[in-house]
Amino acid sequence: MITKHKSVTALAIVGLLFAGTSCKKDHDNTGVEYAPQMYDAVGYEPYRQIRANTINPQGLNMRLPARGTVARPNYHTTFGTGANATTDLMMYNIPADSIGIAERVLTNPIPDSEKAQAEGQLLYTRYCSHCHGAAGKGDGPVAKEYKGVPNYSSDAYKTMNDGHIFHVITHGKGRMWPHGSQITPEDRWKIVQYVHKLQQG
Amino acid sequence: MLIRSINRVYKMSHLYKLCGTIALFLMLLLANAQVKAQDAAAGGAAAPAAPAGGGGDVEKGKTLFTNNCAQCHAVTSEKVVGPGLKGIKERAPGGDWLHKWIKNSSALIASGDQYANQVFNANGKVQMSSFPSLSDADIDGILAYIDQAGKPAVTADVAGAADTKNAGGTGGSGPTSGGPSELFTLVLVALLVVMLLVLGVLLVIVTILSKAVSPVSIGEGTQIPSTFSQRLKTGLSNTFNNPTLRSIVIWLFLLVAAKETIDGAYGIGIQQGYAPKQPIAYSHKLHAGQYKIDCNYCHTGAQKGKSATIPAANICMNCHGVIKKESPEIQKIYTAIEENRPIEWIRVHNLPDLAYFNHAQHVNVGNVACQTCHGEVEKMEVMEARSSLTMGWCIDCHRRTEVNTKDNAYYDKLVALHRKESKEPLKVANIGGLECSKCHY
Repeated sequence: MITKHKSVTALAIVGLLFAGTSCKKDHDNTGVEYAPQMYDAVGYEPYRQIRANTINPQGLNMRLPARGTVARPNYHTTFGTGANATTDLMMYNIPADSIGIAERVLTNPIPDSEKAQAEGQLLYTRYCSHCHGAAGKGDGPVAKEYKGVPNYSSDAYKTMNDGHIFHVITHGKGRMWPHGSQITPEDRWKIVQYVHKLQQG
Repeated sequence: MLIRSINRVYKMSHLYKLCGTIALFLMLLLANAQVKAQDAAAGGAAAPAAPAGGGGDVEKGKTLFTNNCAQCHAVTSEKVVGPGLKGIKERAPGGDWLHKWIKNSSALIASGDQYANQVFNANGKVQMSSFPSLSDADIDGILAYIDQAGKPAVTADVAGAADTKNAGGTGGSGPTSGGPSELFTLVLVALLVVMLLVLGVLLVIVTILSKAVSPVSIGEGTQIPSTFSQRLKTGLSNTFNNPTLRSIVIWLFLLVAAKETIDGAYGIGIQQGYAPKQPIAYSHKLHAGQYKIDCNYCHTGAQKGKSATIPAANICMNCHGVIKKESPEIQKIYTAIEENRPIEWIRVHNLPDLAYFNHAQHVNVGNVACQTCHGEVEKMEVMEARSSLTMGWCIDCHRRTEVNTKDNAYYDKLVALHRKESKEPLKVANIGGLECSKCHY
């Protein structure tokens, strides 16, 4: 008799515990919103879409820019002051497979300075070091998995010039894929400057 | 009692952890012993292999190999980017050919050499870098190193595997393949035992308590309610008819209900802890934690604009165009690219449109680390909203945070004005961080 009642009580306790925990907000739920019309933008917002778009293909708010659109550079194009000032719009039309042209034609418009080096190092840490390693030895944490990451200071790489490095960042080479979409030309040139430092070993 | 039983569970879990570590230790010991045995066996085989290298400086060759070749070639027969170099001397048409190839492979291919073209085509037409600066002696050294390193490859491999096992073991992750499932069953059994123990303890308590209750009624000399149910019934009706107890219960209920209601009302619009299942099981823990890929590598907008941006498939392809292509999760990226359809990630941090927020302003100018607001993303398997993103949370930080005015002429006058009024350092709140219209307009 005793055991029967105990099981009933136990069941009740377990049930209560279950009900108590199951009421918690689960991770897939955004919860209640008060006045959602103030939360959701009326205009189109990047990376946020509440309802399907009735005009655009696939119901997306975002569209590709019109053909032939040229991005206005929002980076520095003039360096130096006074008579030494140089202007380079950094819009190069060198095809991806013509690394030889890049080697001959391109030079770094950013004058070598400690500031540019420091910025280059910061950008290198952000965009390059997980593969190429902090010192450019090709020993970043990703490189072990990725394989084929060169050592900048090895014989075949230590003499590569401005244009070559810039072109490789922009269009990729060998196993490395293009990074032109992620890094602005100005930032690429700063990275080039820092890579030159790493080439010295 | 509950506390005690919890303690017991806690203790038991400690016990099982201990057992687990002992088991792991034993496994490691076993692995070590195996390595030693293999080393002993290899000792005999490796000794005669060493002089076979001949014809070049092995030590120098090793350095040259690691600096120039190891990125694309392995000394074993494993293909990395280029083919594995085990037995290259026997395979190639001759020592002279190898020298020519290493110095300038493209020239050799262009000259119409049959074997050169065969190798070039067999390896996906990837051009090998030229090494004109290597002298003949250097190349001989490299070849001698490959020869030497390739021969005891089997034992070296096994030892290497055991080493990695050791390294993983000391890290505490227990990389042995059958490990996790065994541990899991162990834990399950342990839990079962603990539960049985708790049940036993409870039974004992109940019997003791019922014994303690019964003698009281015997003392009164009347016929006692014999069964447990009858006793329970009288007890329950007594408590139910007690007005003090009743009012206490009602008040407690009211208080709890009021607290829950207020808590619930405060939680409206707060999405802290929101961690939706994404269309692709992307792990920040793996990419940002283990491989240490910088946040800015994918979220390129964080330094430059309002939105930190979600990477497009082309950034995924920077790595996954080459590695882990066969994984079903990564195949989803390929499908999206083939169908020219963006991957519809689910937004985790939904700041309401009524508040303005700019990433560049905070990350670039303010130098706020990503983790300050997003939590330890590098440890999250599934991305989760760690902060409440309430106005109070914003304001709190604006009141606390000092403005970095060093070497920035923009702030000079502001700092001078602020100094006149207060001795406190210039905080974000002092430069308009609490102005309504800064964020709501």
